[in-house]
Amino acid sequence: MTTWSDLSEFDEFINSGGMVEPTDDIPEPYRDEVFRFIEFHANSELMGGLTERDWIPKAPGLRLKQVFLAKTQDEIGHAHLLYMVAADMGVKTRDEMIEQLFRGESRFHNVFHYQAVTWADQVAIAYLVDAAAFASQRAVFAECSYGPYKRVLKRIVAEEGFHMRHGEEMLLRLAEGTPTQHAMFQDALSRWWWPAVQLFGPDSDPADPLLRWKIKSERNETLRDAYVQKYVPLLQGYGFEIPDPELRYDGAAKRWVVGSIDWEPLKATMRNGGPDSRRRIENAARHWNDTAWVRNALDASAMAL
Amino acid sequence: MTISTTPAAAAVTTTVASASTVTATTDSARATPVNLDMVWAALSTVDDPEYPGLSIVDLGLVEQVETTQGPDGSGVTIGLVPTFSGCPALHMIAADVIAAVANATGLATRVEWLSDPVWTTARMSPLAEQRLANEFTVVLRRKDGTLRCPVCGHDAVQDQSMAGPTRCRSIAWCPDCRNPIEVFRT
Repeated sequence: MTTWSDLSEFDEFINSGGMVEPTDDIPEPYRDEVFRFIEFHANSELMGGLTERDWIPKAPGLRLKQVFLAKTQDEIGHAHLLYMVAADMGVKTRDEMIEQLFRGESRFHNVFHYQAVTWADQVAIAYLVDAAAFASQRAVFAECSYGPYKRVLKRIVAEEGFHMRHGEEMLLRLAEGTPTQHAMFQDALSRWWWPAVQLFGPDSDPADPLLRWKIKSERNETLRDAYVQKYVPLLQGYGFEIPDPELRYDGAAKRWVVGSIDWEPLKATMRNGGPDSRRRIENAARHWNDTAWVRNALDASAMAL
Repeated sequence: MTISTTPAAAAVTTTVASASTVTATTDSARATPVNLDMVWAALSTVDDPEYPGLSIVDLGLVEQVETTQGPDGSGVTIGLVPTFSGCPALHMIAADVIAAVANATGLATRVEWLSDPVWTTARMSPLAEQRLANEFTVVLRRKDGTLRCPVCGHDAVQDQSMAGPTRCRSIAWCPDCRNPIEVFRT
C-alpha cells in the first residue's frame, strides 16, 4: 500500500508516471474525480449498449444482426467491468449507480440523448460517434493513472477499434450504394455531425483535475481538432456535405476550421434534457424492472451453490 | 460469399462452409513453387481484431495451409478454426488473411472456416497465453478449475459473471488487488 503525506507529494507521484491502485491510501479529491469519470463512462456504455440492442431486429441482414448482437454484448460487458471498478472505490454501490441513472439523476454521453431515426442514423453512430468515443477513450488509456481502469480500458479500446471497422464497412455500403442510400446518410449526417463533435466537450479548463492527475492525457480541444482534421476530408471524399456553413480550409495552416460551436445542446444533455433523453431513460428503467426476475433467479441459484 | 471490404481482397473469395469447392489439392508444396514459409510468415502478421498485437497463429486459429492447383494456376487455401461460432470477427479475420497472404505471395487465396477440430484454449501458444495475461488481463482457467490473478498473482480469483463483453470471455474478480479479470472460455 502506497501512502502520500499530502497532495503535492501525490502530484509528484502522478507526474513521474506512478500508477494508483485500489489498495493505496487514495487522496479523496482524486478518488472523487476518478470515480465520477468512471461512473460517467460506465453509464455511457450501458445506455449505448441499450441503443445498439434496439437495432438488432432492425439491422438489415443476418450478418449485421450478428454484428449488433456482438456490439450490444460488448457495451454491456464494458459497463459491467466499469461498474465493478467504480463500485470498488466505495463512493456509491453498483445498485445506487444504476438506480440513479434510471431515475434520470446521472449523466451519460451526449450522443445517447438523441433518437436514431433511420438505419442511416445507426450507421452514423457506428461510423462517427464510435470513432469519437474511441479517440477520447484511447487518450484516457494513454496515460491513465488508475490501475484497474487502465487495465479495463486496454480491452475496451481494442474492442472499440473493432467496432470502428464495422462502422467503416456499414458506411461504405451507404456511401457507395444507390442515390437513395447516399441521401439517407447525408440526412443522418445533418443530425449526428454536431453531437459527435460536441462529444469531446468544450475547451479544457487549464486547471482540470482530470488532466492534472492523468486521467485525461489530452485537452478536449486537441482531440476535437484531430477528429475534425480526419473526418472532414473522409466524409467529403465520399461526397457528403458537412452541415457547417462556416466550415473552411485554412490553406496556410493546412487545417480545417469548423464554425463556432453551440454548446447549449451539450449542456441540455448533461441535464438529461436532450431531445430523446426522457424516452431513453424511461425505456432503460422499464427494462431494468422487467428483468428483475432474472437477477433474482441468478442470485437465488448462486446462494444455493 | 464475397468479401469486398478490403480493397486487396476484392478479387478473391472466402467460403464459410468447410465442404467447399476446392478444385484440386496437393498434399504438400513439393509439386508447386509455392513457398509455404512465406504463407505462414504472412499469417503471423494477421492480428485478431479484438487483440491487437496477438496473431491468429499464436491464438491457434490456423489449422491447415494447403496449396491448390486450379485452372488459373496455383493458389493457397487457409483452413481456420473459430474460437466461437457466431464470433462477429470471422469475416474480418478472413478478409485480413486473404489480404495478407495474397499481398505477400501473389497467390489466389481462399479461407475456409472449419467446424472440426473445435478450438480450445489448448491451441494457444504459451506466448499468446502470457501476453493475454500481462497485456489484456485475460487468463485461462487452470486444469483444477482455479484462476490465478494476472495482476498480483493471487491464487483464488472469484468467478463473477458467466457473460463478459465477448462470447469467448467471462468475468471474474480478484479480491486481493481488487481488479476485474476476464477469463477465456473454452
